[in-house]
Amino acid sequence: MMALPYLMIIPLFGAFSMPMVSLAGRKAREAWAVLISGATLAVGSWVFYRVYEKGTVLYTLGAKSPLGQANFPIRIVWEVDLFGALMVLMVAFVSFMAVLYSLGYMRHDTGLDKYYTLILILELGMLGIAITGDLFNFYVFLEIMSIASYALVAFRNDTQEGIEAGIKYMLVGSMASSLILLGIALLYGQYGTLTMGYLALKLSQNATVVGKVALALLTSGLLFKSGASPVHMWLADAHPAAPSSISAMLSGLVIKIGGIYALARIAFSVYGISISVKTVGWLIILFACITLIVGNAMAVIQTDMKRLLAYSSVGQIGYILLGIGIGLAAYGSRTGEIALAGAIYHTFNHALMKGLLFLIAGAVIHQLGTRDLNDLSGLAKTMPKTTFAFLIGAAAIVGMPPLNGFASKWLIYESSALFNPVLGAIAIIGTAFCTAAYVRVLYTFFGRPSEKVMEAKDPEKSMLWPMVILTIAIIVMGLFPWGISDKVMIPAARALENQLAYVATLMGGG
Amino acid sequence: MFGYWDALYFLFVFIIGLILAYLLDRWAKRSGMGTRKTGPGAKIFISGEDPDRVIPGFEHLEGHYTGRNVMWGLTYALKRFFTVLRADHTGLLTDYASYLVIVTAFVMGVLLIWG
Repeated sequence: MMALPYLMIIPLFGAFSMPMVSLAGRKAREAWAVLISGATLAVGSWVFYRVYEKGTVLYTLGAKSPLGQANFPIRIVWEVDLFGALMVLMVAFVSFMAVLYSLGYMRHDTGLDKYYTLILILELGMLGIAITGDLFNFYVFLEIMSIASYALVAFRNDTQEGIEAGIKYMLVGSMASSLILLGIALLYGQYGTLTMGYLALKLSQNATVVGKVALALLTSGLLFKSGASPVHMWLADAHPAAPSSISAMLSGLVIKIGGIYALARIAFSVYGISISVKTVGWLIILFACITLIVGNAMAVIQTDMKRLLAYSSVGQIGYILLGIGIGLAAYGSRTGEIALAGAIYHTFNHALMKGLLFLIAGAVIHQLGTRDLNDLSGLAKTMPKTTFAFLIGAAAIVGMPPLNGFASKWLIYESSALFNPVLGAIAIIGTAFCTAAYVRVLYTFFGRPSEKVMEAKDPEKSMLWPMVILTIAIIVMGLFPWGISDKVMIPAARALENQLAYVATLMGGG
Repeated sequence: MFGYWDALYFLFVFIIGLILAYLLDRWAKRSGMGTRKTGPGAKIFISGEDPDRVIPGFEHLEGHYTGRNVMWGLTYALKRFFTVLRADHTGLLTDYASYLVIVTAFVMGVLLIWG
């Protein structure tokens, strides 16, 4: 498929040409950033449509076939199934919104050539992770994404908070990356291949202790990257410290692609049934339960709006992990399939919801210069459009019908209750905390106007439009929940579960 | 199984919820009113701080309203839980690294024994 390389070429070219384009002035730089991320979205949409219509796509770098002279794959491949394609669409869409929003939000900042370069590199890294079928290639993209994230968290280097969060994130993130790299090295040493599909074949023929150690290293590294509790603490430092457009990408995309997606891909497509899926499933469920309780509970007691949103992201990751865990533990059953579809659905929904909520937080900070909830009473009076968008985002994330968050959470609740009622109860407790956290914010926004908020007003158009588009997406997706679930999410879950098809596509039988 | 969902049903539920809220509001007003129709007695107290009350010595905070005590009941009831959670989030890099090592060891142990 010839469009697939452009998913890499466009943002890469855009990022590295950005400093030169910046010489032509601010307007040229902004137009270039919008053009590049818009073109990436167009290609991403095309890739999604193509995969949706015609099935998994395989692209070999530098040759027609991944197989060399020998009868096994030796070249780097990109293999995009429906799950990967959905992630591509999600990344390209939210990144485009973040770039649009940045036009107004970052107007008063300096060093914007570096900012837009990094944002495009961040997008490139995430897209690469979503499409790659090679483990080392995955690691390279993971590092591209991570390093761009570290730099963007510390972008506002005039604040102590940004630098501290950036350093913490970088140090401990590098540790997690090292674990992942060690896991990949062990797999390469043991099986002599890095191609995911071929590795799956080798693992199914001979699952060794080294393979299990590698899985442990990969799992813990990826749990860290996804912000699962108790290795979530970096997230609450890093996400609030970044500029809000970046927070939206970090919370909406980076933890999903660099953590959840990669974990699911390795657990299902690489290891699959060559290990005890029940053990791995229950392991993930255990972390999921801790994550959704701790994340949502910590959100209740925050006074910093962005920190609250960051902890809420941790909580939502708990639901997604729960779906993936049940998908593994109940592998091959209808319950497992629905749980996995719920997890994929919630991944997509949460990207929209958390993207929106962080953009709103940015608009509030832009107007009032504070993110302390105690200073934001009565914001609804002076920023009505922003508050309405927040109301929609909060209601969706809590899981209120008829918004998109309801459908995905419902699938997770229902499958977890069927799988084990205790898990269903834990998920509901998590939601109770989540509701408490957002009700507090809404009560503040709709409360009596404080003197401080009286001068605030809704943000300018370039900041407002991405918020409006995301709000519309949340509402529209909420109106057709089962259509989306049946036509996209369940087929995506089936594509992820079908390890045989993943291997067959690579080996030429797909 | 697996969710029959129709937006219209939830619209009905929402409308019923609004009616219930209205009835509750009326009931609260009637109960709180006592013998007079105006004054502090007519106020409905749900939760949080009374924004009209000026505490002596804190006049400088007049005009500054917050919603910080909205979830007071929940946070007070789970005070111990929240205290433990708060104490655990130290913000220290060494703790972050320790948790990562512990998680890795735990995952490895589980996978080697039962994987």
